[in-house]
Amino acid sequence: MQRSSASFDHFSSQLPFGPKTLVLGAAALVAYGLTRRSKTGTALAAAGGLLAYKAARGQSTESSTHAVFLLNASPEQAYKLWRNFKGLPRFMAHLKSVRELDSRRSEWIALGPGQREIRWHAEITDDTPNQRIAWRSLPNSDVYTSGSVEFRSDPQGRGTFVSANVRYGIPGGSVTSGLAALFGKNPEFVVREDLRRFKQLLETGEVPTTRGQTHGPRGIHGHTEQVLFREKTNLPDPQVALAYSHSA
Amino acid sequence: MKAVCWMGKEKMQVHDVPDPKILNPRDAIVRITSTCICGSDLHLYDGFIPTMEQGDILGHEFMGEVIEVGPGVNKQKIKVGDRVVVPFTIACGNCHSCKDQLWSCCDNSNPNAWIAEKMMGYSPSGLFGYTHMLGGYSGGQAQYARVPYADVGPIKIPDGIPDEKVVFLSDIFPTGYMGAENCNIRPGDTIAVWGCGPVAQFAIRSCFMLGAGRVIAIDRVPERLEMARAAGAETLNFDEVDILEALQEMTGNRGPDACMDVVGMEASGHGAMYAYDRAKQLARIETDRPIVLRQAIMACKKGGTISVPGVYGGFVDKIPFGAYMNKGITMKTGQTHMMRYMGPLLERVQRGDIDPSFVISHKLPLDQAPEGYRIFRDKQDRCIKIVLKPWEQQLAA
Ligand SMILES: NC(=O)c1ccc[n+]([C@@H]2O[C@H](COP(=O)([O-])OP(=O)(O)OC[C@H]3O[C@@H](n4cnc5c(N)ncnc54)[C@H](O)[C@@H]3O)[C@@H](O)[C@H]2O)c1
Ligand SMILES: [Zn+2]
Ligand SMILES: [Zn+2]
Repeated sequence: MQRSSASFDHFSSQLPFGPKTLVLGAAALVAYGLTRRSKTGTALAAAGGLLAYKAARGQSTESSTHAVFLLNASPEQAYKLWRNFKGLPRFMAHLKSVRELDSRRSEWIALGPGQREIRWHAEITDDTPNQRIAWRSLPNSDVYTSGSVEFRSDPQGRGTFVSANVRYGIPGGSVTSGLAALFGKNPEFVVREDLRRFKQLLETGEVPTTRGQTHGPRGIHGHTEQVLFREKTNLPDPQVALAYSHSA
Repeated sequence: MKAVCWMGKEKMQVHDVPDPKILNPRDAIVRITSTCICGSDLHLYDGFIPTMEQGDILGHEFMGEVIEVGPGVNKQKIKVGDRVVVPFTIACGNCHSCKDQLWSCCDNSNPNAWIAEKMMGYSPSGLFGYTHMLGGYSGGQAQYARVPYADVGPIKIPDGIPDEKVVFLSDIFPTGYMGAENCNIRPGDTIAVWGCGPVAQFAIRSCFMLGAGRVIAIDRVPERLEMARAAGAETLNFDEVDILEALQEMTGNRGPDACMDVVGMEASGHGAMYAYDRAKQLARIETDRPIVLRQAIMACKKGGTISVPGVYGGFVDKIPFGAYMNKGITMKTGQTHMMRYMGPLLERVQRGDIDPSFVISHKLPLDQAPEGYRIFRDKQDRCIKIVLKPWEQQLAA
């Protein structure tokens, strides 16, 4: 065990990508291995698990999450979609609701692991139309959080760079424990996927999903695979089906 | 409704499942009148492409009637009652890739893009019924299907043309055509085509449409070779001759101007190299058997082009990259950018340039799909292309 773990450290330090990529790559390996349903498959999955563990352990506790996407829209369109805070849950999968209290303050409710509600009040600290929005939580919230999003027109005329920086913490706890409380083990993944959904919503008017689609009997295998591919946690609720259920 | 479900390797079953619903504003529901089994489905049937889920509905080559559209669908483009062919690639129409006509690379249509990004760097478009890495969308070997971004992909078909002549606009006709276009054909060129399956049959005919002088088609299944000859191709049987030598002989030691791999990851072969690939693939160390790709690189003329419509899923070994580099070869690949080709090829069908139904060997009711997969994979009963009829109980073969 000692030897094999040492060689994994060596292996991961040789790779041309960082620990976060490695975590997800390893997750894919686990997923791939488990779909094989064979001895080699199990071995692959185990190798993936070890890689993920090694890579996750290597992550700095100070990291705040960051993601960037180039979108086919103007900064004005992007700013407008984001600035409408009550619409944020359409692309931020963990948010249940955002309510604007006045022009600066808002109340946020997120769903943590196990559907636990986490609430905070936030205030806008910067609002530069079509360029930047920044916010931070107010004292006496369940979590400490701050974040910003920037919209920068591509000088090559290919649309808008949207970059988001988000930090979370628990009062008295570390940044990472706050992130984990909100997002489970992979905050970087969540912020990146939220921003991807923002791009999808802006470019197409909807966020793609297969949640609620028809399919054959899943059985134990099918359900396990859905968990592995994060289809239970990462797919947004369908928009029309939601609208129907609200009106019904 | 009835649907063909993937329940595991070589385990296809027809199940009664709930009818599909509109989930997103730009969705439509199509009542399917014809749907096909594809060589690409065989890679799933044989369990070689990862990220399938038990219970997935397969099928990506279908057409039918629009019976419902979501509130966000552009009604100028598509409305209830339209008869449509649905392309197998799902595209949003408004991302950078779609704007560049790279429809099969749509940035937005794959809800599981993160999985594909881990395997490929960036995610291609979502596909119907083709793994969760590529979207996890339920497919069209069923009585109904949900079609996302319905105002982008589906093409309207006028009444009066039978399904059999247009259903292959959903995949294999455009795929064969793009494969030929990617060969960069100049008038009189010699093109070698590996495979004489349904896609290759369209590729061969498209090569001639685009001005090729000679097409040399390679397979080992007699009725498929015969069908290639009917299109004017010369043929080689890889069970009988050494392909590299035969191509050298036929081209005066020059090599074909372009080589097309219309076989993909499950190529058959002979000798030590084939045994090596097969063993590695079964042990899951190598995902694909790149026998044809290796041959194509060796056979191609200096400065020639290789076009790869054949599907690969993951990793390949022992590619003669030195030959590829030193001979100055260009390679073009990709899932088909469907929306580029459907309109122009429909026009060709309407003009009578080609009747795509020539490739059909079997029409089966949906219930017989599991049997269909088997005979198609094993090339039994002279099977070349199967069209499934979702609403019929009995059909003459
Ligand atoms: N790029 C795309 O968008 C796209 C779309 C559809 C299909 N495809 C792919 O095209 C390929 C062909 O599809 P199909 O429906 O015609 O499948 P198919 O399985 O019916 O045809 C494959 C043919 O290749 C032959 N073959 C096997 N090994 C060979 C070898 N070493 N040399 C020459 N021929 C060999 C087989 O005998 C068979 O006739 C598949 O890989 C499929 O996944 C790609
Ligand atoms: Zn196909
Ligand atoms: Zn797109």
